[in-house]
Amino acid sequence: MNDDSWLTSGSNMTGGQRHQQGNNDWAAPPPPAGGYDQGVPGQRPPYGRQQPPAQAGTTMANQQVAAYQYTAFQNNAMPQKQQQHHHHRHPPTPPQPTVATGAYNTPGTPNGPNKAGSGGGGGNNSSNNNAGIIVASRAADEETEDGRIRNREASTKIRDAWIYKQIRSRQDEFTQYKQGRVFVGTWNVNAKGKEESLSSWLCADWHQHGPPDIVVVGFQEMVDLNAVNVAVENKSATRSQFWVEKIRATLNSRQNTLGDPMRTYTELATKFLVGLLVCVFVKAPHKPRVKYVHTDSVGVGVMGMMGNKGGVSIRLQFYDSTLCFICAHLAAHRENVAGRNADFANVYTKMSFEIGQEAVQEVIRLGSMSQWAMGTSSVGVPDHDLVFWFGDLNYRVDESIPTVRVMELSKAGMLDELIEHDQLNIERAAGRVFRDFEEGALTFTPTYKYQPGTDLYEERPDKKLRAPAWCDRILWLAQEPGHVAQLNYTRSELNVSDHKPVMSTFLVTIKDVILAKREGVYRDVMKMLDTYENNSLPMVSLDRIKLDFGEVRYDQRVTLPIVITNTGQVVAQFRLVPKVDEIELCKPWMTVAPTYGMLIPGEQAELEMTITIDNSTARRLNTSQEVLEDVVILRLENGRDYYISATGKYARSCFGMAVDELVLYTDPIREVPLDPILRAEKYDLNSRAAMCVPKELWRIIDAIYERGLDERDLFTMIGDPDEVYQIRECLDTGASFENFSVHSFAEVLTSFLSNLSSPIVPVTLIPTLDIDAQNIQMFTRKFLEDMLPVPYNVFIYIISFFREVLLHEQRNRLSPPKVARILCNCLSLSQTGGADESVRSASSSRGNMQQLMLHFLQTNSI
Amino acid sequence: MSSRVCHFKLVLLGDTAVGKSCLVVRFVRDEFFEFQEPTIGAAFLTQTVALDDATVKFEIWDTAGQERYRSLAPMYYRGAAAAIIVYDITNPDSFAGAKSWVKELQRRGDTNVVIALVGAIAGNKADLESRRKVDFEEANAYAEENGILHMETSAKNSNNVRALFVEIAKSLPKALQQPEREAFPIVMQKQETRNCC
Repeated sequence: MNDDSWLTSGSNMTGGQRHQQGNNDWAAPPPPAGGYDQGVPGQRPPYGRQQPPAQAGTTMANQQVAAYQYTAFQNNAMPQKQQQHHHHRHPPTPPQPTVATGAYNTPGTPNGPNKAGSGGGGGNNSSNNNAGIIVASRAADEETEDGRIRNREASTKIRDAWIYKQIRSRQDEFTQYKQGRVFVGTWNVNAKGKEESLSSWLCADWHQHGPPDIVVVGFQEMVDLNAVNVAVENKSATRSQFWVEKIRATLNSRQNTLGDPMRTYTELATKFLVGLLVCVFVKAPHKPRVKYVHTDSVGVGVMGMMGNKGGVSIRLQFYDSTLCFICAHLAAHRENVAGRNADFANVYTKMSFEIGQEAVQEVIRLGSMSQWAMGTSSVGVPDHDLVFWFGDLNYRVDESIPTVRVMELSKAGMLDELIEHDQLNIERAAGRVFRDFEEGALTFTPTYKYQPGTDLYEERPDKKLRAPAWCDRILWLAQEPGHVAQLNYTRSELNVSDHKPVMSTFLVTIKDVILAKREGVYRDVMKMLDTYENNSLPMVSLDRIKLDFGEVRYDQRVTLPIVITNTGQVVAQFRLVPKVDEIELCKPWMTVAPTYGMLIPGEQAELEMTITIDNSTARRLNTSQEVLEDVVILRLENGRDYYISATGKYARSCFGMAVDELVLYTDPIREVPLDPILRAEKYDLNSRAAMCVPKELWRIIDAIYERGLDERDLFTMIGDPDEVYQIRECLDTGASFENFSVHSFAEVLTSFLSNLSSPIVPVTLIPTLDIDAQNIQMFTRKFLEDMLPVPYNVFIYIISFFREVLLHEQRNRLSPPKVARILCNCLSLSQTGGADESVRSASSSRGNMQQLMLHFLQTNSI
Repeated sequence: MSSRVCHFKLVLLGDTAVGKSCLVVRFVRDEFFEFQEPTIGAAFLTQTVALDDATVKFEIWDTAGQERYRSLAPMYYRGAAAAIIVYDITNPDSFAGAKSWVKELQRRGDTNVVIALVGAIAGNKADLESRRKVDFEEANAYAEENGILHMETSAKNSNNVRALFVEIAKSLPKALQQPEREAFPIVMQKQETRNCC
């Protein structure tokens, strides 16, 4: 006997031989004589098991599929398996009307006494066939705020189904394919049984193929199908015990095992129902790789639920293949084809294995799950890689051939005509039963009905003459084409019953998954999904994210654009968002427009960022309370954030400073750093005494003086804005003045004074009491006494200058009240000052200030 | 491999140029760039990690490490279920920086956040030990003291990158609705009946 290990076929995997003990345990390679295809793993199965199960998620789609299948069957004499779609755990023939929508996943308890349907309607394609699978409960539908309906449960399942489909389509990458042999035997024992070896049945081909890896044996009519036996299990239990022991004794006979425990077979499970029995034995070395062995039985006999007819089954995971064995006894009587079809459909539909969530999870991972049902702790017949269905299916040769003729042909071994009229062949071809199942050619004579104890068909005159028939059959269903090859299909001549036993040995391809590799494939698939997801995030490109505004001057407005382009594949919405715990989008000296927008892929937009140095900003900059640096956050909806940074260098100006500080510098203010420490080094202590007023003030007044105080409308006509800007630059840089108009200088003077960071005349110096002729001397004296030194100097300087100006009032058309008003505006009330005063006191203090100024201008009180 | 998908926000923090983006790019795209551009802003990516009992989907915020953007970090770590704090094992300052990030998170972050302290190994293994300035044991002790995960990873040769995210995924409580929350619950919810989403 050749004892080769697993034959790996088609797998190019190297290493990772997880199967340690198995080298001598597996069946010998099959003879190639049969010419069967040993299977190229990875080929898609002929029917659509790899269709993503969740495609059945919508009833609509499913109906279409089902309708299509139906048509396909009607139009073709032979089922075209390649055209069929995934069959959603439908039975190959339509389920009974009692099977309600969405209830396919309920465990296979008989659905009440509804034999009527099965009895009459075996062949009808009822509309329930199209009900389909509901992927998730409607209750899980949520309506989102924008009115869309979503169902997380369904969406997750559909996504998972897709993932597993992907993984399964790549199973060759992580699966070692091994070849093993499965023996299947079935026998209707007609309640007989005697002490004889079963080896001519169970071990008939061992000399040729060697001992199989799995032995599955099914019996029908272990007990008489009388009312007592149907109701009471007692006798069935005894008989099944008897048969299991006989099988064990046969398989493990001294002759077979040669005393080697590794050659023995272990019983994995036994399941009986009245007369039905199925048991599975596995060769000892494989035992550790068998998991999740579960059984179920379905009675479809009397009342549609009794066990005189029905099926018993065992499912298990063998290495990483899922196997299901069903032993059935279907409705009897030559004419009752529809009853048999219906019985099959019932057993197929109702058979269900409560294997638990963990095992289901494994079935799903292995890709064997035919669909995604709502309750996921059980599996059904189609949720297996390999299904074997056998038993007394009771199909006969149809009545178009007279009984006597059937008898003659059977005895003569002339099988062709009989095969053509075999009801099972006809029904299968018509797609009415065992859809997608396969069966080998019948090369043996009909197995029923024999005269017990003989090899003669029952023809005794006292018995009813029955047409011999192939009641006893073995069929299979494989998710992968070529994963099952039948080595033989024949019968045994054991003669204790009125049926002959039938048996078949299969060469099956078994999957052995290398977990680490499968995890790798899973990661690949997830990564692919993640990539799509990441690519569907909005994406933009910004032509720059660092804006350098360079030197920014007082009262200047600088704008820089940013081009934002949608480089992604989806519509991108962008908006600026405030920083943590802030309310404004950016600092007060900057503006951005627009602050939001939307771009279709490829579209561009321009953001304009503008810096403006106004008076209050200048003050804050000059006093180092502020720097020209900011970050703006541009956020993509559902995407990332971009930081856009803006920087500028404030080109220092004497505007917006305090006279106390200005007098400290002999250098042009532009050259004085903003940094407080560096700035201190610029203090010119020696010159301090000399600089009683800021040099900038002196330069302006000197320029006005030089250009003539006779100028008409001096201090009332506005200057040229450009000249004003240039004069300011000259003051800040120390450059000499060009030939600017005196009006521009006059404007610079008032602007300089009114934009000082602290006014020459603080609000506190202005009397709040009414001023009259009696007290004005006192007020002016106090006013001067309370002034700080530098503002005092400036004030005296300014008053002196304007007195001078007023000497020319005939020409320049100024008057003391006009000048007083100007002084009032630029010396005392800065724009920010007086904020906490009431309007009334503000106006009264303004009046007092004006009176004081007038007094200073008109009298020689200084 | 599981149909239970749990979504978690994860934020990467740490000083500039320690290798945060390299780590994410290696994890998400399995790529490595010798000269990774500094992140100016906060990059957002998603990546899935499959555990035995659940699938964890990380929504990753990779933040800017430059000091000037530090004040913006709370926008990203607020509400995060996990934080990876990265330092460069050749740069002790970055380790000090990492500690300050740990402190900040412990002070201001969600108390439930799972923190992983990650020593990024830049360069090749060969010259590594000579340039190492942050002792593994020291960092490990610090992590243990603070009840946080600690690992050294190399984005360049992929070492420990995936393991890091798997470790974090395992540490995340899969049932966020549970009422009692410890400071750093490193517990796995094995019960299949619990929902995560």
